[in-house]
Amino acid sequence: MPETSAFLKLDGISKHYGGVFALNNVHFEASKASIHAILGENGAGKSTLMKSLVGVVHPEEGSILLEGQRLRMSGSGDAAEHGIVCIFQELSIVPDLNVAANICLADPPRTRLGLIDRKKQARLARETLQDMGVGLDIDVHSKVADLPLSKRQIVEIAKAVIRKPKVLILDEATSALTAADVEPVMALLRRLRDEGTLILFISHRMHEVEALADTCSVFRNGEHVETFATGSRSDEEIVQMMIGKPLSQIFPEKAGETPEAPPYLETSGLSWNDKLKGVDLDVRPCEIVGLGGLDGQGQQEVLQALAGVLRGVAGHIRIGEQTEVPNGPRGGLTEGYRVALVPEDRKTGGLFLPQSIANNLTAPILERISPRGVVSGSEEHARIDEMIRTLQIKVSSADLAVSTLSGGNQQKVVIAKWLATKPKLLLLIDPTRGIDVGTKQEIYRLLRDLANDGLAILFYTTDYDELIGLCDRALVMYDGRINAELSGDQLTEQNILSSALNMGVGAEERVS
Amino acid sequence: MSSAVKSKPSVSWSLPFDGPTRSVFVAIVVLIVVGGSFFPQFFSPYYLAQQMQNGAFLGIVSAGAMVVILLGQIDLSVPWTMTAAATISTAVVGANPQAGISELGLLAGLGVGALVGFVNGFGVAVMRIPSMIWTLATNNILLGLLVYFSGFYALASQPSLVMRAIGQGKVMGLPAVVLVWIAVSVLTIFMLKRTVFGRNIYLVGTSEPAAYLSAINTRRVTILAFVFAGVMSALAGMMLAGYAGQSYQRMGDPYLLPGIAAVVLGGTSLFGGAGRYAGTVAGVLLITLMSSMLSIMQAPEAAKQIAYGLVIIVMVGLYSRRAAKTE
Repeated sequence: MPETSAFLKLDGISKHYGGVFALNNVHFEASKASIHAILGENGAGKSTLMKSLVGVVHPEEGSILLEGQRLRMSGSGDAAEHGIVCIFQELSIVPDLNVAANICLADPPRTRLGLIDRKKQARLARETLQDMGVGLDIDVHSKVADLPLSKRQIVEIAKAVIRKPKVLILDEATSALTAADVEPVMALLRRLRDEGTLILFISHRMHEVEALADTCSVFRNGEHVETFATGSRSDEEIVQMMIGKPLSQIFPEKAGETPEAPPYLETSGLSWNDKLKGVDLDVRPCEIVGLGGLDGQGQQEVLQALAGVLRGVAGHIRIGEQTEVPNGPRGGLTEGYRVALVPEDRKTGGLFLPQSIANNLTAPILERISPRGVVSGSEEHARIDEMIRTLQIKVSSADLAVSTLSGGNQQKVVIAKWLATKPKLLLLIDPTRGIDVGTKQEIYRLLRDLANDGLAILFYTTDYDELIGLCDRALVMYDGRINAELSGDQLTEQNILSSALNMGVGAEERVS
Repeated sequence: MSSAVKSKPSVSWSLPFDGPTRSVFVAIVVLIVVGGSFFPQFFSPYYLAQQMQNGAFLGIVSAGAMVVILLGQIDLSVPWTMTAAATISTAVVGANPQAGISELGLLAGLGVGALVGFVNGFGVAVMRIPSMIWTLATNNILLGLLVYFSGFYALASQPSLVMRAIGQGKVMGLPAVVLVWIAVSVLTIFMLKRTVFGRNIYLVGTSEPAAYLSAINTRRVTILAFVFAGVMSALAGMMLAGYAGQSYQRMGDPYLLPGIAAVVLGGTSLFGGAGRYAGTVAGVLLITLMSSMLSIMQAPEAAKQIAYGLVIIVMVGLYSRRAAKTE
């Protein structure tokens, strides 16, 4: 095939930050009417590549050609004119506007007076959602801030689709979707492909890539490693390409036997507002227990309730020697509790992004390691060095802003800062969302090691592989209750899914 | 420029100020040199000392304003906190004019500042009322209370010996109030750099939810920051009363907006979480020198206001350009 036939062509693109190449002489081609997956660890240059395509980042060298034409872009508006639209990893919707206004944000319909035509806007939005076949239950008049994360992500996709792009880029855009929403979104993407759209697709969920992509390209350290047809390489081979070393096993070995120690955490009839309707669970030391199920069934509320963040929690609760929930995160640190919550969103709840890595790491313990309220430099540095060493956080200097780290290393900082409080019960909300395989593996290893050392771990994940691979027991939630408890051979994707959808199988497991 | 390799952010203790703040210092030097070559009295130690004295009142107010702004909040109750502290302390002195006991007035004034600060902080941290509204309300209530009471009783307004000594006295040629400003500055730098409270101010200012989840007592941090600001306003008010020999209505009015402007000129973000104290000092010096130079030039009030506005626009432009570059 002659070279000019490539629909989208990148020719020798380079971009560096400081001495580090984010992209190093990248040559890359993709063809019309295809779904092209971009794979690689965080920091491999995928996001920089996509940002170059939409004109947010300006490469120092090389050129971008679309349909044989060289693109010159000075901002994201130019990219949209060329028909390139991107759905970024960070949600870029306006939470205080309603769904319709968000979907039509780039080009709202006008009345003759030049004002926004709200009726037409609502109709356009509804048509787009209907056309997409997802989010039919979304009211286009509701405020986006009131929607769960998964629905917000669908609004984000609709906002891109309404612009009828030639090239649609999804940067981790499916990572917030629940299992129930993924399938319709995939169907939508396939249809767009058949209509001639080139879809560039970044995802860390391998089974999605396999189900969806026609072609895969692997990136590592800012370089394009290889492009191949989906299915022509095994998972092992792909992972090896991504991390540059063989990956024997992603998940560490489980504990096997149920630990003998009495539970550190026990609840029965835990309830809160109308979100939790009587949750019974227990977690022992040395045990990793996973909360699963569809998004928004009360999993986050269980963890928040146990951390003392919610007001008005009822039911029988025992944590260590205590019989009520702690008084907020401060109360959780006290000797009787030793509870730590790693919050969901590291960008707003977990980290102080513009502050230094050091200030982030010591935030919860600074009060304790500072006699009479004066920070002891040597003590603080010792703690920081220890944390960076234990979690193998890749930093050039702890004085840099934590926002300069890759997603995986940021997540390590969040976990490290909580481990420093020496908890006995660790609660985590989706601790591996949007981070790369290599770092995920390190975090799994770490959690298992901590459990082996006697920590009780309860965590919520949207990833079924984690429930199966990492957890000793999985509790599947449905409508504010635990619908099934699965362990050992019963812990399969089939069983998780059926109890998540409340299809009966799970309920039987629970009885037996 | 576009091809320039991005350098790593400099290590935090390399210089106490960075890019745009440096240009504030450059502007200060230029003001002194240019001003001095046109108006020789500008160079005289007496004149400079006089300027420092004027700047010190503003500097003390700005220290308090900065701590609150670092939280992402604002304290608009400065004018009447100053006036209230000055009025009440001089009234206490007037009622107890004996040398030793009269210094109780000083304590009473600081107490007023702390109390107003506590009320401000409580409204913001516990009742969750936006500080811009709440502190404006406390300011108006203080105004009302003072006018109401001083309307009925003729309060004896008399600064204590210490207040007078600090407001008017000199130590080795330096106005004593400048020494107080220096002491306040040392305390503020220590507080922000070396204490848990100072660190937590930056963290709460960056993200209050993250600070709460990080087991930081966000309410206490907020209340204490407002108390600090209240005490600083009270201190400045009493020094000013000592300087003027009495307290008077609206004595705090000229300090509210210049105090905030000095903090912003110094590079502290109005959204909270970022800023250095050295910048605030630079901002205070720049505003003070500019105002005195315009006075010497006998510039009309209108020109002064335009000049202030232009300086703020230029500096905000410089800071936002830097912010865009480090994105």
